[in-house]
This record gives sequence, C-alpha cells and structure tokens, in this order.
Amino acid sequence: MSLIADRPGPGAARPYRFPQVLRRSIAGGQVVAAHLPGQNLAVAVLLLDAGAGREPVGSEGLGGVLAKALEEGTAQRDATAYALAIEALGTELVTGLDWDSFQASVQVPVERLGAAVELLAEAVRTPKLDPEDVRRVRDDEATALRMDWANPGPRADAVLRADLFGADNRWGRPMYGDPGSVAGLDAEDVTVFHSEWFIRPGTLVVAGDLDRIDLDALAAAAFAGTAGGPVDRGSAIEVPLRGDRRIILVDRPGSVQSTLRLGHSAPHRAHPDHVPISLAGTVLGGAFTSRLNHLIREVRGYTYGIRGEFASSRRFGRFGVSSGVQTAVTAPALVESVGEIARTQAGGVTEDELAVARSWRAGQLSVELQSPRAIAGALTTLVVHDLPDDYHARLRESLLAADVAQVSAAAASYLHPESLTLVVEGDAAVIRDDLVATGLGDVIDHPGSS
Amino acid sequence: MRRLAGAWPGPCPRAGSDSVGAMPDSGYPWPISTTRLDNGLRVVVSEDRTAPAVAVNLWYDVGSRHEPSGQTGFAHLFEHLMFEGSLHVAKTEHMKLVQGAGGSLNATTNPDRTNYFETVPAEHLELALWLEADRMGGLVPALTQETLDNQRDVVKNERRQRYENVPYGDAWLRLLPLLYPPGHPYHHATIGSMADLNAADLATFQAFHQTYYAPNNAVLTVVGDTTTEEVVALAEKYFGAIPPRSEIPPAPDGRVVPATGVPMAETVVTDVPAPRVYVAHRTYPFGTPGYDVLTVLATVLGSGRGSRLYQRLADGERIAQPDLVGAYGVDLAHGPAPLIATATARPGVSGERLAAGLAEVVDELATVPVTAAELARAKALLATAWWRQMSTVDGRADALGRYATQFGDPATVAERLPAWLSVTAEQITEAATEVLVADDRVTLTYQPEEKP
Repeated sequence: MSLIADRPGPGAARPYRFPQVLRRSIAGGQVVAAHLPGQNLAVAVLLLDAGAGREPVGSEGLGGVLAKALEEGTAQRDATAYALAIEALGTELVTGLDWDSFQASVQVPVERLGAAVELLAEAVRTPKLDPEDVRRVRDDEATALRMDWANPGPRADAVLRADLFGADNRWGRPMYGDPGSVAGLDAEDVTVFHSEWFIRPGTLVVAGDLDRIDLDALAAAAFAGTAGGPVDRGSAIEVPLRGDRRIILVDRPGSVQSTLRLGHSAPHRAHPDHVPISLAGTVLGGAFTSRLNHLIREVRGYTYGIRGEFASSRRFGRFGVSSGVQTAVTAPALVESVGEIARTQAGGVTEDELAVARSWRAGQLSVELQSPRAIAGALTTLVVHDLPDDYHARLRESLLAADVAQVSAAAASYLHPESLTLVVEGDAAVIRDDLVATGLGDVIDHPGSS
Repeated sequence: MRRLAGAWPGPCPRAGSDSVGAMPDSGYPWPISTTRLDNGLRVVVSEDRTAPAVAVNLWYDVGSRHEPSGQTGFAHLFEHLMFEGSLHVAKTEHMKLVQGAGGSLNATTNPDRTNYFETVPAEHLELALWLEADRMGGLVPALTQETLDNQRDVVKNERRQRYENVPYGDAWLRLLPLLYPPGHPYHHATIGSMADLNAADLATFQAFHQTYYAPNNAVLTVVGDTTTEEVVALAEKYFGAIPPRSEIPPAPDGRVVPATGVPMAETVVTDVPAPRVYVAHRTYPFGTPGYDVLTVLATVLGSGRGSRLYQRLADGERIAQPDLVGAYGVDLAHGPAPLIATATARPGVSGERLAAGLAEVVDELATVPVTAAELARAKALLATAWWRQMSTVDGRADALGRYATQFGDPATVAERLPAWLSVTAEQITEAATEVLVADDRVTLTYQPEEKP
C-alpha cells in the first residue's frame, strides 16, 4: 500500500461574503434583514432591550418567567389553542435572553413566516398574564432551576460570578436567577416588567429569501400596538481586579469529578482590543487545539475537556476557564491550569499557535454562518453592539491581520493569573487538603453549599 | 458520543417547485452521485455552490453492536484514537491542521456505526481527504500504548461527566439491558463499562482497525462547493491504494427480539431532585415503513406544547414538569429501535402516580384516534426539522452517508420526508396496538433518596 506522504496545500481561496444586509424603519420599529436567495427556511427574531441587565436586583429570573408566561394564553386564545396554532406552522416559539437582550423567534418554511410572526407578536405583545398562570409558571421555573442546580456547574458559576462582580449588583448574580430568586417573584413583578420593556417596538431580525418575504407585513405585525422609545443602555462598568488569588470550595459530597470554574474580570465588548484579546483566549483555551485542552486532556488525561475564553457583553466582561476533572487529580489539574494561564500571560503566544487560531476563527465565518438561524444570530450581534453591515467582513480581515506582538500584548495586559478566583465544586472531604497544599491561595469553604 | 460541542449551519435551496407545506416530491432536491472505487470505497458527492465550504463525512459500518462481551466501549474508544495521529500525521496534528484550515470537526459512535466529519473552507478539501485517507490506511503504525492510556483516561472522564456525575445520567445505560436481552447487539451501551475500558490492550485496537477500517466498509460523502469529478479524482488519489479487506465479520443479528409478554420495571433510589419515569418500547428498525409511522407517533406523543404528553401531564393534570416531558425514537437500523417517553414529577407528585399517568397516555395511542389537527401539527414540526438538517452541508453529508451505508443507496434519503408526510391516523393506531402494548413495556423510575 502506498499512502501519499505529502500533505497537500490549499487550493485557490474562494471569496468570503456575508449576505447583503437590509436595514429599514417600518411601522415604528427597526427591521434588519439578510437576503438568502433560494433558502427554503426562514427565521425571524424579535429583539427587545429587555435582557437580564434590565431586571432589578432581587428579581433575578424575571425575564425567564415572563418568557414562559407568554405562552400561557394571549388576548385572542388560550394556551392550548396557541400551542396548536404555532406548532401547526412547524415551529415553536423560541425565547431566550442574555445580559443585553431578550429574543423571541420562529423558524419555518419561508411561505409560513408571515403567519408565524403574527403569532410571535401576539404572544410577546398581548399575553394574557393571568396572575394564577403566572404564579404556576413561576413555581415551575423555580423547580426547573432547582433541577438544573442539582447538576454540577450552576452553583460554581454563581459563586464565581458573585466573587468577580459582587452579589449586590445584578451582574454579580446568575443571569437566569437562582431557585430562590425565582420562587420569590410576584405575579405583579412579571406584569410590570412586561409593560415596561415588552411594549417598546425593538428590532425585528429576518434571515431568509427576501424575494419571498413581505417585510412590510412582518413589521406591521411585529410592531402593532407598540409605544415608547429606546432607553439609555448604561455605560461600561469598571470592575476592579481582586488583589489576591483565592480558592472557593463548594461541597458536592460523593462527586466523582470536580467542577472547575476559574476567572477574573475583563474588558467589555466594545473595547478597542477586542480582536487580539479574543485571539489570546483562543490560543489559551478556546479551541480543541488550545494550550489548556492540550495539556489537561491530551497530555494528562485529567478531563474530557477544558475551555478557557474571554466573554463580554455591552457593559462588562470576564475571562473564564471551565472543566470537569476526575476527583483524584483535582489539585494537579488546578495547579497546571493556573500555570498555563500564567505562562501565556508572561510569554505570549507563538506564531504557530496564532496561525492556527486566526485561520480557525476566520474560517469559521464561512463554515458556520450559513443557515438562516446562524445568519439571524449574526444580525443580532450587529444590532445589540451597534456594528456596521460590513462587520463580519472586517472581522475576518482583522482576525487574519492580528500579529504575535498584538496578541501577546493582549495576553500580557488582560490575563491576570494572580487575581484569579478559583472555584472548585467537588467532594470537599476528599480534595480539601490537596487544595490547601497547592499554595495557590487561601481556601474558603463556600457557606451552606452542601 | 460527541467529542466536541457544535452544530453546523449551512444553506438550503428551495425544495421542489412550490412549498414544503404541500406534499413535496422529494426530501432531497440536490444532485447526488455515487462512485465505487476498485477497493470498494463508495464516494458520494452532492454539489452545492451556495457557500464556499465543503462537508466531508465518513461513515464506517462499525459500532458498539459489533463489540463482543468483555470489550464494551471499544468502538468509541477507538474513535478517540483516530484523532491521535497516523502514518504521516503526527500526534495532535490532525486537529491542528483542520482547525488551522478554518474547519470544524468531530466524530460520533453509536450502536450502529461510527462517523467522522469535518466542514472546511472549500480550498481545503484536499487536506481533509488526505487526513481521512491517512487514518483509514495508516493508523496502526502510529498507535502507541501511551496514546491508548491517555485516551482511555479521557473516555473514562467522559463517562464520569456524562453518565455518572449528573442526576439521571445513567438512564440510557439502564434502559438498554431492560429492552434487549443478553447477546443482543444493543444490550450494552456504546460508552462501555469501566472494567472493560481498563482491560483494553493495544493489540485489540490494532486488530480492530485492521478488521473494520477498510475502504469497502466505509462511505465517503462530500457535500458543498466542489464537483463529482474533483472529489472522485482526489478520492482515487488518496484512498485508491488502500487495500480492501475480504471478510468483515458481521455483528450478531439483532433484527428479531421476541416479545417477552412480561413488563419490565426497575426503580432506582438515588440522589435525584425529583421522581422521573422513562417508558420504553422496542418498535421497528429505522428505515422501515413501521418506523416512519413511529416517528410521527413520537411527535404526536411528545414533541412540543401541543403534544399529548404536554397537554395531559404538564398542562392538564399538572403532574409533570413542563420542560421535562417528551418522547422520541432512537434511530437505530439493525434491530427494533426504541421509543422512549419520559416525564419528571412536579413537587408533591409521586413516582407511582407519574408512571401511571405516563402509561395511560401511551396506552391511549391505541384507543384514542389521532385527530387531523394532531397529525398536521406533527407533520409540520417534522418537516421543519427535516429541512433544518438539510439546511447545512454537514447535515446533508451525514444523511447521505447514512442512507448509503444502511440502505445501499444515498438517493433513498429523498424518500424519508414524503414517507412521514403520508402517515395516517389509522397507521398510528395500528402501530400503537402492535408495539406499545403494556405487557411488553419497560418502565424505569428514579426516586429521590430520603435525606436524613
């Protein structure tokens, strides 16, 4: 047998292009659409400035409860009739929220998009919000969160977030709230939040074959009966770095793995160094081939996977590493992870590593941004972060142009191994002494965590 | 057994002449070509110039159903080894080369088969084919004890993370032996047992590759910005010299599982936040008309807020958590595939009451006819789900590989959606009467342990 030994080089590059973007002001709201000629599926997303950042402190999870309550009947029909009507079109009402926005969306064969957006708007703009239904939804959501928090991860995430951002701030508490905060919501809180944030027009994002889509009709349905304008979205929040590294131990008796959540605060999304910062994150932990995954999984076999990356929203950001490691190797996995972060901060990245990172990130634009759902997601990024139509084309160029000096400088400036908070959720009785012996920092037992 | 997270979107041209709301003639309105190389490798190509990307997908007709007793988990562990270097590809280089080309990649193993796939910018097609050929034809010389030991640890951590360290995580591991008798190829789970993984030795894996990773046991599919001529020429160049294997041992025949006539029930008392019940049945093999009926039945039963389970248990009686009711078929083709329905109790509701409610809704599929509205809803949801898979080049490549591997002709992919859309209410009643009988049911119940 003779396999071919020489690795082939690339063929002629084919041009990358993001679909044509259309922005229009219709019926009192904004429409941002991408033309996907020949596409059989279409996606519409109603984007509202009603993300978790709009929830008052103490009412975490309000948006999540409201999202579920939208489907409990509308001014026109009850919950069952609504479910049957929208599912008969081949879609469910998909809702989601992050720190910056609330989103409700439908995905249907293109000729059904008009009917689907009408039903979407009916639920978002005119939900019944019967107090008894809202209380039941709230209880179900509290139970759902309690179920979720029985998994490893959510508690550690919450402990890390509180330590980085301060639990007296909304952004220092879990994005979706916790079982207790949701259980404590009143039906009236939900109604008030709806009237304050869900009646404003917002933006309708559409991805599909615009030759077969009537944007005027979609906008008329999406923005009917809306009122009120944009509200100031607040400026970037200064988050001081912690002066001392510390370990916070969250007890999970009997756990066969330890869940690691390491992090510190980092720049917000509009920071001018966004691209080199994110590439530094990619080299360190953002890809399968990154330093952390290579060392902790591929060399040591401590884990099924480990990731590290910078994440940012409009007002704040953080660097974070997450993994699940076998209980017996918790301490060495932690020591080596911190070591890899410190090495990257001190020594920067190599040309070989950066070449993979920038080609991967740039290539992902052609590989990933193809379906209507993915294109709609990209348009949402443009809207939420006030970016221009040619953002993705420019992003590709700036990724490919980033050099070792820029990315190493970003690693040096924005990684802070001495300021990390190291949250470990695992079997405290088994791992505590080992964690103390690492000398990475004081070990603090998270109160009431078992 | 997904190794990395990630779902890949892609383009989807207009299907047929008018709408998918009407009955489409085809679920695959793109060209398909199939070429068989002299060594038996089937090369399937589907050209689509919409975006400058290509999906490359290899289906190997080997899965955990081929594993003998004492070697559970080997097919999946082997999948991991395929990323660790081959004759001309150094350890760690495979991932680096694909990601460095801008690509996404992964592989999965299930009871039926193992698939390997990458989507790359179109100019890197040749690289992807070179990498796949090198590990098909040249894995064994690169396989070392060190690599095996490392990936064994990774897989054991995968098992801990996905099955052992999460509430209800072992449900699938418990359901399979209840559904399929010892000796049946679906009796054990793909992830395998810790004991078998610990016992795995290098020679076994070398033999595994030599036995199953042959060109005549694989289908290479390429979808996207390329042509049949280009792909076939490159396939000939890179895979053409890999010799076929004359005898590839089949898995045990699992097509017939006699009805036991005795319900199977298992109750697990453990650290879970609420009672949860799984009801499972053996049905028909994926790809048969019976399984098409089952697919629509499962959607009527358990997809969406308009489904019977949601309407009856989450909304009506309000005994189940709304986000945690559902039903689905597991698309296995080499034996009667499972249908699984599940619900999790609302606070104050016992596991027994929930199990009774779940069983009642399943039983009613045989006695309460499916209405026209229920049927139309299920078909609309299935049509969207179908076109969503077809909207990506990688989704299409995987589907073509499946139909070529399991049914001998990738073009049969076009028949699935029309088959779903032609299912009648009467057929659903008949199927329920035949395969969802209470006397042949598996019920798995999780009960929270009493806390002191």
